Amino acid sequence: MSGLLDVSVSALVAQRTRLDAIAANLASADIGGNPNGPVKPPSIREVLFATGDPANNSELGVHVADIREVRAFIPRYEPLNPYADADGRVWYPDINPVEQQVNMMLAARSYEANIAAIEATKSMTNSAMEILS
Amino acid sequence: MSDPLGIISNIQRASPALGGGGAPKGAPGDFREELLRQIGEVNKLQEDATVAAEDVLTGRRNDVEGVMLATRKADSAFRLLLAVRNKVMDAYDEVKQMRV
Repeated sequence: MSGLLDVSVSALVAQRTRLDAIAANLASADIGGNPNGPVKPPSIREVLFATGDPANNSELGVHVADIREVRAFIPRYEPLNPYADADGRVWYPDINPVEQQVNMMLAARSYEANIAAIEATKSMTNSAMEILS
Repeated sequence: MSDPLGIISNIQRASPALGGGGAPKGAPGDFREELLRQIGEVNKLQEDATVAAEDVLTGRRNDVEGVMLATRKADSAFRLLLAVRNKVMDAYDEVKQMRV
């Protein structure tokens, strides 16, 4: 029974890490810079999941295999910005806020689904104990 | 004859082993040894939960889920132990009521 809980909790941790990355992306969406200058724009963080839970040496569950840093930038013409390059362009991370918010909702729903699985495990355990009493 | 079931002497012998819960000393499937081992396991889970709660409150770790899991495991294990204990006490009361 406690193995079941480990599986669900590994998913909770993974989804929370994903939400961390999404929050960081949304927060840094408007930080500009010059990829070739001293002040660089932030990169986009993408969380990659993989099966298995190394924390418990389990084949089940999920863990974060890698947090990829994608360096994709879009320019805006802001010649007065001190970070602008020679052509007057400031580079911002190519973050699509709508896409990020959809991913955020997916992460939150998935978290809830795993909480529901934990609740089911809990009620099953408690029911099993009622056999004895 | 004052201790026909060996309960009192067993308890006296059991007391030092309570904390350790080590390898079974009796025959395989010895209920008393198994129970003591399980008590040790439950105690370990309780300690894990306490340490986890302390760690999250003092900021040494930030995975709330892991702490909830440890607490949940400790709670379930203790409930199971309590259920077994109540069952044993019921059986003991039942035997006590017997007319000989």
